[in-house]
Amino acid sequence: MRTKEKIIKVPFIGDLIYSSGHTIVGILLGIFTGGLLIAISGVNPFLAYASMFRGAFNSLQSFSNVLVRSSPLLLGGIGVAIGIKSGVWNTGIEGYMYIGAIGATIVAIPELGLPPIIHILLCFIVAMLFAGLWGAIPGYLRAYKGVNEVTATIMLSYVAIYFTNWIVSGSPLAQEGAYFPMSLPFAKSSLLSILMKGTSLHPGPFIGLLMCIIFHIILKYTPFGFRTRMLGHNPFAAQYAGINSKKQIVITMVIGAMLGGLGGAIEVLGLKHRLYMEFVTGVGYESVAVALVAGGEPIGVMLSALFFSILKVGGATMSIETGVSSSMASIIIALCVLFVIGVGVADSKRLKKRDEKDPGKKTLSFKMEEAVK
Amino acid sequence: MNENSILLKMQDISKSFPGVLANDHVTIECEKGHVLGLLGENGAGKTTLMNILYGLYQPDQGKIFVDGKQVVINSPSEAINHGIGMVHQHFKLVDTLSVIENVILGIPTNKAVLDFGPAKKKLEKLCKEYELFVDPEEIVWRLPVGKQQWVEILKALYRDCKVLVLDEPTAVLTPSESDQLCRAIRKITEQGRSVVFISHKLREVIEITDKVTVIRDGKVIGTVNTKEATQSILAEMMVGRPVTIERKARPIIKEHSAVLVMKNVNAFDDRGVQALKDFNLTVHAGEIVGVAGVDGNGQRELSECIAGLRKPSSGSITIQDKQVTNVIADPSFVGFIPEDRQKTGLVLDFTVAENLLIKDYKEKPYVKNGFLQYSEIKKHAEHMIKKYNIKSPSGDIKVKTLSGGNQQKVVIARELDAQPVLDVASHPTRGLDLGAVSNVHDILLNERNRGAAVLFISAELQEVIALSDRIIVLYSGQIMGELDGETADQFTIGQMMLGQTTEAKK
Amino acid sequence: MTYEIILDWLQASLRWSAPLIICAMGEIFAERSGIINMGIEGIMLCGALCGVAVSYYAQSQAVALFACAILGLVLGLIVAFLTVSRRTNQVVTGLMINLLAIGATNVIFSVLTVMRHKRATTFGALFPESMHRIPLVGPVLFAQPFTTWIAIFIAFIASFVLYKTRWGLNVRAVGDNPQATATAGLSVIKLKYQTLILSSIAASVAGGILTLASSGYFAAGGMTGGRGFIVLAAVVVGGWDPMRTMFACMLFGATDAAQLRLQTTESIIPTQFLQMLPYVITVVALTIMVKRSRVPKTWGAAYDGRRS
Repeated sequence: MRTKEKIIKVPFIGDLIYSSGHTIVGILLGIFTGGLLIAISGVNPFLAYASMFRGAFNSLQSFSNVLVRSSPLLLGGIGVAIGIKSGVWNTGIEGYMYIGAIGATIVAIPELGLPPIIHILLCFIVAMLFAGLWGAIPGYLRAYKGVNEVTATIMLSYVAIYFTNWIVSGSPLAQEGAYFPMSLPFAKSSLLSILMKGTSLHPGPFIGLLMCIIFHIILKYTPFGFRTRMLGHNPFAAQYAGINSKKQIVITMVIGAMLGGLGGAIEVLGLKHRLYMEFVTGVGYESVAVALVAGGEPIGVMLSALFFSILKVGGATMSIETGVSSSMASIIIALCVLFVIGVGVADSKRLKKRDEKDPGKKTLSFKMEEAVK
Repeated sequence: MNENSILLKMQDISKSFPGVLANDHVTIECEKGHVLGLLGENGAGKTTLMNILYGLYQPDQGKIFVDGKQVVINSPSEAINHGIGMVHQHFKLVDTLSVIENVILGIPTNKAVLDFGPAKKKLEKLCKEYELFVDPEEIVWRLPVGKQQWVEILKALYRDCKVLVLDEPTAVLTPSESDQLCRAIRKITEQGRSVVFISHKLREVIEITDKVTVIRDGKVIGTVNTKEATQSILAEMMVGRPVTIERKARPIIKEHSAVLVMKNVNAFDDRGVQALKDFNLTVHAGEIVGVAGVDGNGQRELSECIAGLRKPSSGSITIQDKQVTNVIADPSFVGFIPEDRQKTGLVLDFTVAENLLIKDYKEKPYVKNGFLQYSEIKKHAEHMIKKYNIKSPSGDIKVKTLSGGNQQKVVIARELDAQPVLDVASHPTRGLDLGAVSNVHDILLNERNRGAAVLFISAELQEVIALSDRIIVLYSGQIMGELDGETADQFTIGQMMLGQTTEAKK
Repeated sequence: MTYEIILDWLQASLRWSAPLIICAMGEIFAERSGIINMGIEGIMLCGALCGVAVSYYAQSQAVALFACAILGLVLGLIVAFLTVSRRTNQVVTGLMINLLAIGATNVIFSVLTVMRHKRATTFGALFPESMHRIPLVGPVLFAQPFTTWIAIFIAFIASFVLYKTRWGLNVRAVGDNPQATATAGLSVIKLKYQTLILSSIAASVAGGILTLASSGYFAAGGMTGGRGFIVLAAVVVGGWDPMRTMFACMLFGATDAAQLRLQTTESIIPTQFLQMLPYVITVVALTIMVKRSRVPKTWGAAYDGRRS
C-alpha cells in the first residue's frame, strides 16, 4: 500500500464540499455515539432510530410537526449566524424569544378590531421592536464598553426568563386562577392560520426559510453584507477601511435579536395561542448548534434546523415507543455539534496553513489522498 | 582560535513545507568561541533552520551535532538541555511578568514554591559580567525594547547555554545599544561559548562575526571567513547579483503647496505613554518626506493620526486645509499603506477583487440599486491586476494565497490608484524581497513626480536616503533633526536616531 | 424578627457562595491559562446529580464528592481534548457541553426514579452545636456546613498556588504568551490540560456541594440555574484574582440568598424581579469592572503549537 496524492481542481465549490464533508462526518459520528448511549441504556439503537425516523416522517402530520418545530430553530439559527458572520457570539436567542413573545402578547390579547393580517403584522412588529431593544443592550455593552457578549447575552436571557414568569403569573396580562401560569388568551385575529387541516402547521417555518434566503442575499450581495463579513474576518482592516465597527456590531446584534423576537412571536401566535412560562426552553443552545453546524451560512441554517427538528420530533416518538428519554435528542444534537467542530476546526486550519505556505498554488485546490495498491 | 573543535554542526538539513522547500541540504558549522554569521534575505530559510535547531520544527532529513555528539531535538526544553539558547526575532517574553519571573520560567527544579533570592543573585552577577543591566523586579512591558533584548540574552545565559543564537538582534536596537551588544557577544565568546548571529545587515555581520554562511532560497551559497569578505561580495552572494541601493534620479517639481500640515500634535500609544510630543510637520506636494528612526519612536502613532485611526490628544492635523477628525476612507484623498498589511491592510479571507474594494465597495458602479455588482467588481480587479502587475490568475482567489510582495501590490493598487493628494507609506517594503522593494520604490517616486505629497516611514536608513527629498529623524516622539535628502549621510542620521542633536543640520 | 431574618440571610449567603467559590477557583486557573471553560455550568449540573445519586446509594458524602471529582476529571479531559487538542471554539464547546449535560442529567435522572422523592443526607456543621448559640457569629459563621470553610480555605490555597508556586507562574505565563512559555521549555498543551481538568473537577465538586450542602434534592433541568455563568462573571469581576473573586462570589451568593428569603415573605416586589437580581447585578458589575480588569492576553484564543 502506498498513498498517492491526487490533486483535484475544483475552482469554486471545492471549499464547500470539503467543509460540508466535515459536517457530514461529524453528524454521523454524533449519531453513532448517540446510538452507543441508547444501547447502554438497554435499548436496541437501530429500533430507537427507526422509531425516531418514523416519528418524523410517518405521516404528513408528523412531518408538519417537524416543520413547526423547526420554526424557532430557523429564526434563532439565522440570528446567531448573522452574529458569527460579523464576529460576535449572539448567544441570547432564548431571551430575545421571550421578550419578543411578550411584545406580541401585549398587542395580541386585546380585540383591536383589525383584519387578521394587520393584527398579526402588528404583533410581529412589536415583537421585533421589543427584542431589538433588548438585543441593543448587550450590543451596546459589547461595542462601546467591551463587555463580553457571551456572558452579557446569557445573563440577560435569564432576566428575560424571569420577566416572562412574572408576566404570566403576576402581571395584569396573566390569566387568574389558572392551573399553570399563563397569559390571557389571544384575540382570534392575531392567531396565525393553520395551513393544513388536522395538523398544527402554521406559516412560521416558511417565514423562517424565507428569512434564510433573504439573509443569504443580504450577506452576499449588499454593501451591508460586505461590511458585516469584513468585520467578521478582520476587524482591524474593517476599521481601517472606514467602517464604524461599533455601530455595525450593535446593528448585527439587534438584527439577530429581532429575528429571535420574531421567532418567539411566531411560537406564541402560531402554536401556543397564549404566553406560557419557559415555552422555548433550550432553543437558545439549539440555535447556536444550528448556526454552527451550518458554518454560519444562512443556506446551511435551513438544512441544520430541519435536521435538528427531525431529531427533536422523532425523539418524542422514540421516547414513547422505546422508553428512551426524549432528552436523548438534546444529547445527540450536542454530540453532533461537538463532533462537527472537533473534526472540522483543526482540519480547516490545516487547509489554511497549506494555503499560506503554498503561495505558488493559484487555484483553489485540495488534495485527496487516494490509496493505490 | 587555536582550539579547532566544532561546537555546533548542523549537517545536511532539509525541511519542506507543502509547496516550499525551506531548507535544502543545509550544513553549517560553528567553532568554539566563534561567532558565525548567518546571512540571507527574508524568507531565505534562516529562521526555519534555527527553529529546527531549537526543536520547534523537525527536519525531514539531516543531523545535528553539539560538542561532537549527535543529538535529536524534539522540543525547546531538549534544546535547552543540550545547551542551546535562542533569542528570537520576536521576543518570547511574558509581558506581564517581571524580569526575574521570565528568567526562571520553565527551569526545572524540585521546589514547588517560588524562591527568587538565589535566582536574583545569579542574574545580577550575569548582568555585571556582560554589562547588560536590567532591574530584576521590573515588569517586562515597562522595559524599552533594547532592555527586553538583554532579558532574552540573560535568560539564555542563565541556563548556561553553550551556543547562543541571536535572530536579527539589532533590528530593534539603537546604534549605541548595538555596540553594547557587540561587547557582550565578545565576552560570551571569550568564555568558549559560540554565537550564531542571524542578520541581513551586512555591516554588522562583518563587524561581529568570524565566519559567515550565506543562505539563499533555502540553500547554502557559501561560507567565508569574515576577514576575507567585503560587503559587496556578501551582498552578491546573498541576492545573486550585485546590489546597491542608489539614490534615484528625479525631476524637480515646481508646484510646492503644503498638503499635510501638523501643528503641535500630541498623541498617546496604546499603553497610554506619550508617543508624539508637540509634533510639527509639513509635507508639500511633489516631495517625499522620509521618516527615519528606530522602530517604536512614534512612527506608528504618527501614521495612524494622519489616517484618522488614532485621535491626537491635542493639536491639529490638516490635509489640504481639511481637518482630520475621523478615519479617512476616501482613496482619492489619502492613500494609506499601513505597516502591517496582513493585519490592517487586507482581509486575508476575502478575494483579491474584494480586497481591492474594501474602501470603495459602496460606490458606483460597484453598487446598483443597493446590490453589489460582481461583474463590475471583477472587471475592476482584472484591470488592477494588469495595471499593477499583481501575480494572481484572477480576482476570485483569496488574497492570503498570494506572496507578500503581491499582497502589498494589492494594497498599493487600492490605495494609490485614485491618485490621492497625500500618500502615507508606513514600512511599505518590510518583509519584501529585493525585486518587490525596488518596485515599491519606483511606485512611490512616480507618485511624487505626479505631484502627490508622500510621507515615507521606514526603519531602513538606506532606503530612506535613497528615496527622500527631505528626511526627518524621529526620536521618542519628537523630530531630532531635518536633513536634505541629497546631502544626508548615514552617520549623521544614525546620531540623531540616538537622540543626539548635531550641528550638521541642513 | 428582622434580626433573625438578617442572620438567616447572612448564613445562607455564605452557604450559597461556597459552591460558587470552589467552582470559581478552578475557573480562574483555566482562564489564566487562556481558556474559558464555558462548560462549567453543565459540569456543575452533572456534579450535582452525581453527588446526590452517589450519596444516596453509597450513604457517604466523602464517596459522593470523590465520585464528583472523578466525573469532573473525565469531563475535563473531554473539554481539554476538544478545545486544546482540536482547537475548537471555546464558547461553542462550552455551550454544547451544557446542552449535553442538561440532556444527560435528564436521561439519567429519569432512570433513577427512586431518588425523586428521597433526599440525600446533607453536610453537617464543622463546629460543635454549642458554638452556634454565640450571638451573631454563632449562627452566621459557626453553623455553616464545613464546605463553606473548605471553600474559603480553597480560595486562600488558590491564591498561594497562583502567585507563589512555580506551577502558578507557569499558568500565569501561558495565558499571556503561550509562545514564550513554549520556548522556555514548558508544554503549553500540558498546562492547559491541567488547568482545564482542575477547573472541571472544581465545577463538578461544586455541583455536588450545591445539593449536598443545602437541600439534598436534585431538580432535573434547571438545578444550577445559571450559576456556572455567575461563576464566569465573578471571575471577570474579580479580575482573575482568587481573593477578589471570592468576594465577588460572596456578593452573588448574597443576592441569591436574598431572593430566596424574600420569596417567602410578603413582599411588594414580585419574586421574579428578585430572581433576576443576580443576573442584572452581574451585567452591571461586568460593565463597571471590565475596563479595570486586566484580561489574560490570549483569553479565549486557541493555541496553535505549530505557529512559532
